[in-house]
Amino acid sequence: MIACEQVVRSYPMGSAIVQAVRGIDLCITRGEFAAITGPSGCGKSTLLHLLGAVDVPTSGRVLVNGRDTASLSDREATDFRLRHIGFVFQRFYLMPTLSASENVELPLAEAGMDKRARKARARELLGYVGLGDRLDHRPTQLSGGEQQRVAIARALSNEPALLLADEPTGELDAETGVRLLELFGRLHRDGRTLVFVTHDAVVAQAAQRVIRLHDGRVASDTLSNTRSGA
Amino acid sequence: MTRGFAIAVAIVCALSAVGATPLAAQRDPAQRDPAQRGIAIDARMAEDLGLAVGARVRISAKPGEPGESATIAAIYERKADPAEVARREYRVRLHLDHLQRLMELDDRVDRFAVGTRVGESIDSALARINHVAFGFRAHKSRDVAVQSSRTFRVVERFHTAIGIITVVASAVFLLCLLLLSVEERKRDIAALRLMGISRATVVRAIVIEAAIVSLIGSVIGAGIGWIASLIVNAHFQELYRTPLVFALVTPEIFAFATGLSLVLGIGSGAAAGWRLVQSSPLSLMGR
Amino acid sequence: MRFMMAWATLRRHPARTTLAMLGIAVAAALLLDMVMLATGMSESFRSLLLTRGYQLRVSPKGTLPFDSEATIDGAGAIVRALRANPDIKAVSPTLGATLTIDGSRIPSAFTLGLERDVQGDYTLEAGADITRADTGSAAPLPRIVVSQTFLTRAGHAIGDTIMISSGLDAQLRTAARSSRVVIGGMGRFIYVPGETPVIALDLALLRQLLGPSYRDRMSLAMAESRRSDSASVEAVRVWIATTQPRVTAISTETAIRQVEERLSYFRQLAFVLGAISLGIGFLLVATLVTLSVNERRGEIAVLRAIGTQRSGVLHQVFLEGLLLTSSGIVGGLALGLVTAEWLNGILRDFPGLPSAFNFFVWSPNAGWRALALLLTSGTLAGLLPAWRAASIPIARALREEAIG
Repeated sequence: MIACEQVVRSYPMGSAIVQAVRGIDLCITRGEFAAITGPSGCGKSTLLHLLGAVDVPTSGRVLVNGRDTASLSDREATDFRLRHIGFVFQRFYLMPTLSASENVELPLAEAGMDKRARKARARELLGYVGLGDRLDHRPTQLSGGEQQRVAIARALSNEPALLLADEPTGELDAETGVRLLELFGRLHRDGRTLVFVTHDAVVAQAAQRVIRLHDGRVASDTLSNTRSGA
Repeated sequence: MTRGFAIAVAIVCALSAVGATPLAAQRDPAQRDPAQRGIAIDARMAEDLGLAVGARVRISAKPGEPGESATIAAIYERKADPAEVARREYRVRLHLDHLQRLMELDDRVDRFAVGTRVGESIDSALARINHVAFGFRAHKSRDVAVQSSRTFRVVERFHTAIGIITVVASAVFLLCLLLLSVEERKRDIAALRLMGISRATVVRAIVIEAAIVSLIGSVIGAGIGWIASLIVNAHFQELYRTPLVFALVTPEIFAFATGLSLVLGIGSGAAAGWRLVQSSPLSLMGR
Repeated sequence: MRFMMAWATLRRHPARTTLAMLGIAVAAALLLDMVMLATGMSESFRSLLLTRGYQLRVSPKGTLPFDSEATIDGAGAIVRALRANPDIKAVSPTLGATLTIDGSRIPSAFTLGLERDVQGDYTLEAGADITRADTGSAAPLPRIVVSQTFLTRAGHAIGDTIMISSGLDAQLRTAARSSRVVIGGMGRFIYVPGETPVIALDLALLRQLLGPSYRDRMSLAMAESRRSDSASVEAVRVWIATTQPRVTAISTETAIRQVEERLSYFRQLAFVLGAISLGIGFLLVATLVTLSVNERRGEIAVLRAIGTQRSGVLHQVFLEGLLLTSSGIVGGLALGLVTAEWLNGILRDFPGLPSAFNFFVWSPNAGWRALALLLTSGTLAGLLPAWRAASIPIARALREEAIG
């Protein structure tokens, strides 16, 4: 489903050039549940952005369902993300002025769904993540874990083929983080392809496959010790 | 509007009507009038009609009449009188008896200007004249000036009103900008507070910054205003053909503008800073 | 949904949004006032001139009506000639002078001699209209109409009898000619400044009072063209100018142009202040929206990451600017009408202005014009920050947010 071929990504930082990703070859198949881990600055988030067509490689290719992300125009890449990729971020990034339901509706509105259908879908998704009674709550009225669940519901709104999460438990306490990983497990059991980034090697074990990066390269790529959903 | 002036205008009408043809164009010596009197015309008229000192013209009290000949004895510059700005009439001056004769007015005048001897009371002179006056009244020049300066006072009040509106708009604008500017740096301010810098110090820093910005801004603004006043004066002096100065930036005006700007800036800075330091540093950090 | 988001974003920071709206409101008010000033003078003067339907003024050669004390000799012949023209519907001759008033709190008053049936200088508001001078000894006293200012300052009332005189001789301390008249009515004088006490009486009576030299004089005549379109009015004006060389014929448009020339300072001031207020509004909106975008870089990057197109972000931010401008405009229009009334009151104090003349005149046209200018300004102000927001590099913004 996702293939990286000698992907390199470098960008300027001040007067220096930083090579965040240095020639990564990677393949993630449909239905897989993978974690990308490694120390800070090893290129995890950069790799995730490349997989999600948010960024383009400096050299090499990223193919998602056979399409080279670098060949997409901005419009095509955006549309691609809207329909095929779901993003979850460390800081949730919910729109503070919108309710939980409205946050979930955002990608649906962008995809052109009418209001009634949007509301129904949002209700369904929030129910799926266990927040069926929080439809009208603003993010400030939700706990960190609840906000992240809303973010997950938002990411699932257009039934994406691939769910990408960048440090999804980074802002959560341990207990909440575990519950969130359980949700991820459930999503995987329901047939979704998930890739998440974490610096915590323990958290990474929640996935089927653990890809460890070091200094912009794949240091190891192994099956995790624990099954998904545990 | 005085009768004398009206007559002057009528003369002008006559001049205009007959095209102010210099006497030099009239060749028949038998038609020349004896004892040509001298008249004075304003510079604008001289320029527009191509007249110079020594030129001979015909003047009459009624349009279409041949009138009599006169010589331009002088060309004078009109006073910078704001009441006459945008009025495009010409002005002509004649000796009183000349005008009276031309207008067939015998012994009539519009007004007298009376000067009292040094040491004499103006009020008592006024009272004595008015006591015997029949059909006319005497007024102090100052009172007349007050009356005729009403135009300027209206313009002054209008400008003051516009100034007030502008100041209000500027104050709101300044407060809004300073609020935005301070809020943009709320994380920096939060970091300072977390380090142990007191609220008062933070507010003081913001106020000093606002004062400097206001000071620099008002100097730049005064410079722009001064340049604008030059342009305004040049434009309107050209347009209305007057030596009148329309816009003036004086040291007092500059001092007032700078002072006001400082007050507004410091006030706005203090308000914006105080508002921000009321929040806890962590909430400013977004935690 | 975009509208809702834009509005919610503005409400996120109520203090700054309120201040910005207030600033825009003040700028909008000033702009509306300047638009009203730029167009109001000519509109006011036009409606003043056409109050009674007379489109043409005939004045002494080279002068504007009542701009000087010059008069037109041979008035009778001129008026007859004008009335004989089938294209002219009505002619109203007017003679202006100053008469003294005996035993009154004011020594003199500006006086208009008119023909009652065709006069266009006042509207009768109380009492009875002027009557013609009657030479019979048993005839009732002639009636005059006066202004409210006259009644107030002279201390008279409708029905009072007064003595009006002319031709005062300071040596003999007598008036050459006097007449007892009755104050028949009170009128609103359209072209006379409100602070001037004024009398209207029969033209023949005034000529009689002013003496033989005024037997056949008038200060001006107003003429009404039978057809009111501008081409017909201009044709009549040209005919008058051609056939009556001792007078100047001025159409309404010419008179407006000449008055505008004298008051051109205000038009230019209106333009300058209007431009400044537009600039202030522009800066406020641009600054606020730019800052809002800077604050929400991460948020905007996430929107783009989850699939919002550049155009969507651009619309979103652009809407915020437009909403801000529109909200300010609503308050500004109301404030503008209030300040216009205030400023108009100041300028109406100009000496010598007809009482019905206004500088600031509201018209839907002025309102629409101000609205269009403000909306355009707000639109442009929001465009640059909107474009910048749409151009945020997603990955970099997310990186910076992660570090921050």
